[in-house]
Amino acid sequence: MKLFNALGLNLYILIAQLVNFAILVFVLYKFAYNPILDFLKDRREKIEKGVLNAKKADEKMEEVKIKEEEILKEAKKKGREIAELAKQEGEKKRKKIIENTKEEIGQIINQEKEKMRAEKGETLKQAKKEIAELVTLSLEKVLDIKMDSEEDKKIIQKTIKSLK
Amino acid sequence: MLDISLAPKALFYIAGFPVSNTFFWMVILSILLMIVFIWVARSMKSVPGPLQNILETLIEGSFNFANSITGSEKKTRKMFPFIFTLFIFIVVSNLVVYFPGQSALTIENAGGTIPLFRAIMSDYSLIFVMTISGVIVTQIIAISVHGPFGYIGKFINIKEFKNFIKLLFKGKFKPSLLAQGFLDLFLGIMDLVGEVSKIISLSFRLFGNIFAGEVIALVVLNLFPFILPLPFKFLGLLTAVVQAFVFSVLTLIYMTLASEMEGDEIAEKVTI
Repeated sequence: MKLFNALGLNLYILIAQLVNFAILVFVLYKFAYNPILDFLKDRREKIEKGVLNAKKADEKMEEVKIKEEEILKEAKKKGREIAELAKQEGEKKRKKIIENTKEEIGQIINQEKEKMRAEKGETLKQAKKEIAELVTLSLEKVLDIKMDSEEDKKIIQKTIKSLK
Repeated sequence: MLDISLAPKALFYIAGFPVSNTFFWMVILSILLMIVFIWVARSMKSVPGPLQNILETLIEGSFNFANSITGSEKKTRKMFPFIFTLFIFIVVSNLVVYFPGQSALTIENAGGTIPLFRAIMSDYSLIFVMTISGVIVTQIIAISVHGPFGYIGKFINIKEFKNFIKLLFKGKFKPSLLAQGFLDLFLGIMDLVGEVSKIISLSFRLFGNIFAGEVIALVVLNLFPFILPLPFKFLGLLTAVVQAFVFSVLTLIYMTLASEMEGDEIAEKVTI
């Protein structure tokens, strides 16, 4: 008891101290630690999220860049291929057209030649016939005789032939 | 000439209740702490100001440190308010002593000339209250974790006696079990003593350090007031922080130990 007195231990004081300290703990817990810890946690999460998002965005950017390059490369390659193909095709077509035209022209020329030859033959035939008639007529007039016999016709024919 | 007393002296009385200098300053300091903390908590900003920065660092650092001791955030969240309040309150009240000129202020009353200030932690009743509440909380944690029988069984361990008697009925006599039984009983009693001694060691460590610091400062100041007190003051500064840390961390460790299951208990739970 003497020790307690010397140390100043007194039930009333102890209770008062306990109450004070309990109030201090409770108030700090309720109004300070909890809000502050919650706030810190929130902020930490926010920052973590932000950092993560930034990292993700960076990664995506990198990916997009690589993809872009790939696509560009592909497109260039394809374009070159298409151009090459078109060139080849064009060359082929040109050759074909030229050949076709040549052939056609040849055909047309041949046809015309044939036609001309036929016409010429026809004309000649006609002319020969007309000449023969003319000669016969003129000879008839000149000789004033009708030449009907086979013999005469033969002679006329001979003459005409020699006239040619 | 030097008036040194273990107990703080009453400044004045309120309805028969002696308001001692330490009690008075404890109340004022508590109110100040509350105001500062609540003010900071109310005006929390994402980009902290200097005061918020200090408190944030302090609270977050302490929380992480406590977490490393308890090993689970759930436990830390429950124990942290009490432990951190102990720490911050002890540290602040120890450091308040270093405002210069305090011991010069005295008050005259029926008890004689009484210094207006006295280191708050040199009031044993306050330390006793803090210690005992910590120890009681520790016991409550232990009871809630181990169950009331498990808790009592830790101090009065008669498991081996039971085994011995069981085997005796079966006709087997095993003196080694009996010896183990006595050993367990003895260890249980030692545990009980340990719990009680926790209160004494924890509280007198803090009280002794701070009170001794006060006394030494006073004595040295009276011996030679220039330069000579400085090393003692520096030492006191170190003590002020270290003792606060030791007190709160030890309390935290006691609580953590009480909240942990022992190996055989875990095994029991698993088999059930």
